[in-house]
Amino acid sequence: MLGVAGLAVGGTVAACGGSSGSGGSAASLTLWYWSGGLSPKVVSDAVTHFKSQTKLTASVIGGDFKQKLLTTMTSRRYVPDITGLKGEDIASILPDADRFVDLNTLGAAKLKSQYLTWKWEQGMTADGKLIAFPIDIGPTALFYREDLFGQAGLPTDPDTVAAQMKTWDEYFAAGVELHKALPKTFLIDNAGDVFTAAVGQGGTRFIDQSGKFVGDQDHIRTAWDTAVKPITLGIDAKINDNSWNGNVSNGTIGSVIGAAWHALDIEQAAPKLTGKWRVAAAPSGPADIGGSFLAIPTECADPALAFQILTWLVNPTNQAQGFTDEALFPSTPATYAMSALTSGDPYFGGQKTIDVFGPAAKAIPVQYTAAADSAVSAPYYNQLINVENGKSSDACWTAAVGQAKQIFAQQTGN
Amino acid sequence: MALPRLSAPRIARDTPLPAAPRKRPGRLRRVLSFWPQYLAISPFYAIFLVFLLIPIIFSLYLAFTSWDGLGPIKFVGLQQFRFLVKDSTFWLALRNTLTIWVLATVPMLSMSLVIASLLNSTKRFTTFYRVAYFIPSVTSIVAIALFFSAVFSENYGLANVVLHALHLPTVDWLSDSWPIKLVIAMLMTWQWTGYNAIIYLAGMQSIPTELYEAARVDGAGAIRSFFSITIPLLRPIILFTVVISTVTGLQSFTEPQVLFGSTASVNPNSGGPGQAGLTLILYFYHQAFDNSDFGYGAAIAWAAFLVIVLFTAFNWRLVARKDQ
Amino acid sequence: MIMSKRAKGIALHAILMLGVVVSMFPFYWTVVMATNNTADVYQDPPKLIFGSELLLNIRHMLTNIDFFGSMFNTIIVATCTTALVLFLDSLAAFTFAKYEFPGRRVLFGLLLLTFMLPMQLALIPEFEIMVKLNWVGELRALIVPAAANAFGIFWMRQYTQGAVPSELLEAARLDGCGFFRQYWHVCLPIIRPGLAFLGIYTFVGAWNDYVWPLIALVNPNRVTLQVALAQLNTAHGADYSMIMAGALLALLPVVFVFILFARQFMSGAVKGALRG
Repeated sequence: MLGVAGLAVGGTVAACGGSSGSGGSAASLTLWYWSGGLSPKVVSDAVTHFKSQTKLTASVIGGDFKQKLLTTMTSRRYVPDITGLKGEDIASILPDADRFVDLNTLGAAKLKSQYLTWKWEQGMTADGKLIAFPIDIGPTALFYREDLFGQAGLPTDPDTVAAQMKTWDEYFAAGVELHKALPKTFLIDNAGDVFTAAVGQGGTRFIDQSGKFVGDQDHIRTAWDTAVKPITLGIDAKINDNSWNGNVSNGTIGSVIGAAWHALDIEQAAPKLTGKWRVAAAPSGPADIGGSFLAIPTECADPALAFQILTWLVNPTNQAQGFTDEALFPSTPATYAMSALTSGDPYFGGQKTIDVFGPAAKAIPVQYTAAADSAVSAPYYNQLINVENGKSSDACWTAAVGQAKQIFAQQTGN
Repeated sequence: MALPRLSAPRIARDTPLPAAPRKRPGRLRRVLSFWPQYLAISPFYAIFLVFLLIPIIFSLYLAFTSWDGLGPIKFVGLQQFRFLVKDSTFWLALRNTLTIWVLATVPMLSMSLVIASLLNSTKRFTTFYRVAYFIPSVTSIVAIALFFSAVFSENYGLANVVLHALHLPTVDWLSDSWPIKLVIAMLMTWQWTGYNAIIYLAGMQSIPTELYEAARVDGAGAIRSFFSITIPLLRPIILFTVVISTVTGLQSFTEPQVLFGSTASVNPNSGGPGQAGLTLILYFYHQAFDNSDFGYGAAIAWAAFLVIVLFTAFNWRLVARKDQ
Repeated sequence: MIMSKRAKGIALHAILMLGVVVSMFPFYWTVVMATNNTADVYQDPPKLIFGSELLLNIRHMLTNIDFFGSMFNTIIVATCTTALVLFLDSLAAFTFAKYEFPGRRVLFGLLLLTFMLPMQLALIPEFEIMVKLNWVGELRALIVPAAANAFGIFWMRQYTQGAVPSELLEAARLDGCGFFRQYWHVCLPIIRPGLAFLGIYTFVGAWNDYVWPLIALVNPNRVTLQVALAQLNTAHGADYSMIMAGALLALLPVVFVFILFARQFMSGAVKGALRG
């Protein structure tokens, strides 16, 4: 990625042909999102709602969304007029802010009060431009199999679970009991998910705000050790491939720490297990994982209209629909009081999941995410898998830090 | 394939030479008189120039720059190559690529030779066999990689189910380092063994049967004549297949990318758990298109090219040397 | 000999049939997976026979990707590429095989060198060139570069040299046929088997091509079959039956066409190789 310096200059655009190949003229606009990124009903409602003004074509992009988007933007052809941006990618895209329309120039500031401040600020550049508009947030919680917990003699009621598994160690201890009682069941799906949650609970990530690499410091080491513990205790199912679906539905995975939108993944993997899952507060506090944005690339044919559509898609009412359809936890606090959020979720046995996610959303720690964060964090996940395969934790830690430092040097030295 | 034969005798020109020839105009005129020929071969060179040669030269330039595709191109000298040398992931990718190649190609070509000689000895069902063995090489790699990822899936893939039924320990095919390489190698072997066998078969069929007759009269058995007659005479073809297998095998990309395309917690282009399936070209793709680091990607691609050239030359010497 | 001739024959066929089973098994298993649902395939022991869920799996697959649209695109790309390659390569090969002109040896040597260049090196810059030409996301970006096919020229040159007698060309020239007419009326009819081989080879290659279409086709509504197929692989679990249904439908056309033309393909291959 280009260094911050290269782009702070701003306005320097690659010397590739000047053709403005956008998705269409004002007569038609295109929207790109991934499966689960927006509610299909909200999208089709948008198509109808804006029919008189434009023909809105929505494309669900499969595969590697970020790669496809960046390749298309590099080519400046068929660039969508409105595009989704994943939460894990936003930090690495901010340096290319000049390829997106500053939504403040389209009147975004008026809507700021409707959205969670920390989420709003995630889409802003250092010099105050808003290039990404909030869709949902990803407050984490503990999803667990209530029936399996019960069989193992563990508490089943969400509040009790939260009280008894307040820390990681307590959670893991419960996992040992779970596995003892039900040898085919493991507490967690993989160490990587634990690592993500643990890192997200702190104040600093891999690169601090001054741009220094801190991935070798205690806070990361603690998160690493936390992730390694379930491996040592034998309660890690070590599922890192696409057998995840099968393993969720057959009871190999007893619980998952995930963001609110993860509920959709579980529901799709195990539709037959409706009523058997519950949600409790995550051990050691919540984090924010994922949670996406909408943006308007500069190639857009009609930014003003695109902005109208964009903000309509994520207004508080439609965010309620998004929660119902795709478990997208709203970034608009006004939605929390709506019936879609306050009524029980049948998949979770009628539990009002807002009771868990609401407080979690409020307690999410503010973290700085550098542009190179996701590239730098990759080695840790690769090495955790090595630990799962039996290698020594210390050796893998050293390897991960070494690789991360290299990647950091390369990404920021550019 | 053998060396090209010389062509038929020259076709006479239509235009006669000028009466008082001066060397240069005569030569130029002569050259120009062949304009239909030059025209006939020019499309290839034009397309090659625009879409292969110029891009390759530009990619060499890119290897000395830093560029993310969206911003400006910045010249950085040898920086990318310096990163490359220190980059443990690159060396891992290199080791992976070579290991997978050896695991795949050596068994594959040996089996192809055996199959070809078996096919050569049969008179019946020949077309059926040829088609059946050839079909894997016309199937899409994507479809086959998807198939292999289903069959070698840890918990319920067919492979482990069969092992379990035979009371053998199951293998974490797509998680452990060696099994991952084995699966990729098996994929490559499955796809190309028949293809190479048919090529060898074609070569074997041009070996005169008198040689085998003479050998039999001398008392040589089937195996003896295989090693003393068949293989030496097939040497050029074997060389051809070794070169092609080296070049394509070391460029393996689709197999690991699709096999691990759905790996949940890590990037799909990282070659699977522990990056055991990370090949050179996959690493290039990852750096170029996931990290948007076109400059570094170009450096990796050129390093990969160097490896391919060196390894091909090495294999050439290995196979051709015995042919004194 | 220890075994009788008969026993030897049987043993031979047994081994060969084993190889056939190994070659064919993935197809069989793909059909099994595509006709059952994922739960059946993933049980222990798995179902080994065909089920009846094929249509359902196909329907699922169709909701996830634009299968027929991408197949149509692939047909266009493969057909145009093949036509272009057959024409350009056979013409160029004819020229190299039957004519001596200044620089012929050097130019042909250059052609052999291009064999060695891996296309991966060119990927990013080629993408940039497509951007400048405004060909990104267009099928043209796949068809035109594929015409620079050194293998095709190399192969057809071998074939043409051996198959087309120079006397025939000389006779045609005496009859007043110029270069192009000699190609069209004399050479082309004779090299048909070689063309059949090259045609099928090129068609299959274009059909199965993955890497370049993955990069160049930035318009998600215009992709080829392989790219669309790969998108079925979603994170966090896969509906394998659906994916295999897609894989099956993607495999079948090419395999079917290949079997249809297998005899011509094989004889063309053998003839060309023997002339080498």
